[in-house]
Amino acid sequence: MTPRFKRAWRRVVTKGKSLRSRARGPSRAGEPRGVAPENIVWIFGTGRSGSTWLGSMMEDLDGYAMWNEPLVGNLFGNFYYFRVGGRKLGKHSILGEPYKETWLGPMRDLVLGGAAARFPEIIGGGYLIIKEPNGSIGSPLLMEALPESRMIFLIRDPRDVVASSMDARSEGSWLSERREDQGRTSKPDRNPNAYARMRANSYVQQIEKTRQAYRAHRGRKVMVRYEDLRADTLNTMKRIYSALKIPVDEAELARSVEKHSWENVPEEEKGEGKKRRKAKPGAWREDLTPRQIEIVEDITAPLLSEFYPLATTRDAP
Amino acid sequence: MIRDAWRKIKGASPVGEGTGGVKPENLVWMFGTARTGSSWLSAIMGEIQGYSRWHEPLVGHLFGNLYYVRAGHRGEDEHFILGARYRELWLEMVRRFVLDSAAARFPEVAGVRYLIIKEPQGSMGAPLLMEALPESRMILLVRDPRDVVASNLDAHKKGTWTTDLMKKGGKEKPPSLAESRPDDFVKGQARRYVRDVGNAKLAYEAHKGLKVLVRYEDLRADTLNTMKRIYSALQMPVDESELARSVEKHSWENIPEEEKGQGKFHRKAKPGAWREDLTPEQAEIIEGVAGPLLRELYPVRSTA
Repeated sequence: MTPRFKRAWRRVVTKGKSLRSRARGPSRAGEPRGVAPENIVWIFGTGRSGSTWLGSMMEDLDGYAMWNEPLVGNLFGNFYYFRVGGRKLGKHSILGEPYKETWLGPMRDLVLGGAAARFPEIIGGGYLIIKEPNGSIGSPLLMEALPESRMIFLIRDPRDVVASSMDARSEGSWLSERREDQGRTSKPDRNPNAYARMRANSYVQQIEKTRQAYRAHRGRKVMVRYEDLRADTLNTMKRIYSALKIPVDEAELARSVEKHSWENVPEEEKGEGKKRRKAKPGAWREDLTPRQIEIVEDITAPLLSEFYPLATTRDAP
Repeated sequence: MIRDAWRKIKGASPVGEGTGGVKPENLVWMFGTARTGSSWLSAIMGEIQGYSRWHEPLVGHLFGNLYYVRAGHRGEDEHFILGARYRELWLEMVRRFVLDSAAARFPEVAGVRYLIIKEPQGSMGAPLLMEALPESRMILLVRDPRDVVASNLDAHKKGTWTTDLMKKGGKEKPPSLAESRPDDFVKGQARRYVRDVGNAKLAYEAHKGLKVLVRYEDLRADTLNTMKRIYSALQMPVDESELARSVEKHSWENIPEEEKGQGKFHRKAKPGAWREDLTPEQAEIIEGVAGPLLRELYPVRSTA
């Protein structure tokens, strides 16, 4: 089923039937019959780590849909972890610790209800990929609210993430144009080092929260490095499906991998300032200045040594 | 339609609805912005028999900040969790968030009592909350933006009550612009006033239920009669002698002297004190940023 057909079919079904008539397969006593929480696959990590590519390869398979950045993790995670200033999350706070059970329920319903309304085609079967790199800050809460769901922890070298992010937001680039339309004017061109510092800090926040969620999650999960996905896409994809215990038709998977391969992206859609830029692990050596590399490595040092132990410039011979 | 369908398949109402929990019509929201006297007003109301007070749940901030600020550009995107196409569905969840949370925290409110929700710092999300809970009542509490900013300028200096508040939360108060660049701080606070009061006013205008607009200055000038006006407008019962006792108990004069003054939570309570507190340039900055609201809410007070 092509994505275009899926979208058209979704529109028809959404308009034509009530949620109730489409609902099947409860997962918890008293829970609405809708999208099975165990058939939800979260992709967490950080932006510019290949989540669109990975999500697209998965979405293309029969029986899959992709929810593209709902920001539900951002909604709750930002408030819970950062936006309450010096306040304690006590009795009065809407996300107060003593009442966690009270708000984890509605949070779960917000995801499941939103999924059922948007993706009726996967009710009663099929998988929903929720691509949520920019909501990773809330991943520990979401995985606690939906413990049956599956999780992909997608990680990429922070120096490449920062380099890609700087390019995306530079004057005239694809994201910069979109942000200007939205009245958002921050640009790395003005102070590239400050931008590198800010982006490295957000990398740490997002990856640390994703790691926290990943460690705590008792369900099916897999950690994937972007670099491995680039080096051997098909086998890495097979590893993902195997770890998540999701059956997959290998021939169909191979076709999807091929369809979304870097080589099959038209040349005019690739390059500096484009959404698909280099897809070249280690390109940060060409993209960042020595000072920027130093900034990113200083800020992300613990994560770099944990996930890329052989890759820091300072430790290199 | 989506909301109805979801309710059908969910098959259960929020704890607060139809099961002897908190009645949405017994919620009284208090919106505006910080430093407008909402602690004082809510303390007077919370003291009265049959009333409880929920102190700043920040649920308006939770939903409003993503909806209006961080992802304001994604409103029409059907993938966005708070996207326009699925508004009914997520507003239903917002409703559940509030009613379930209220029922869990204030079981005594179930049935007959009123719950005053003091939410000045969640005012950004007031339009969403009032749309999700249209039966509830609303107080729009406003104060001259110049006095609001002057109060905040004082509060955010070194060693003030906000420092103590952060210490209690186990955090060190970071250096504030109020000290290093006061004019920039003033501009930021004026913008915040416009965002909070502007959104609260939008909610107020759209709300079809019981509501009342209260000026801090009127509350200071004649507290008891302003309080009576509030209860009357919101059609809530109150024992007048009990109300008078509560007004008296929470009066400025009854706050111990050592708890009042510069750098304290209770500072001046003096409408128009901005003339002593702000430089002419700072007053001009605020009038520039909050001019339309100032003229609308205080038509004869503006210096402009």
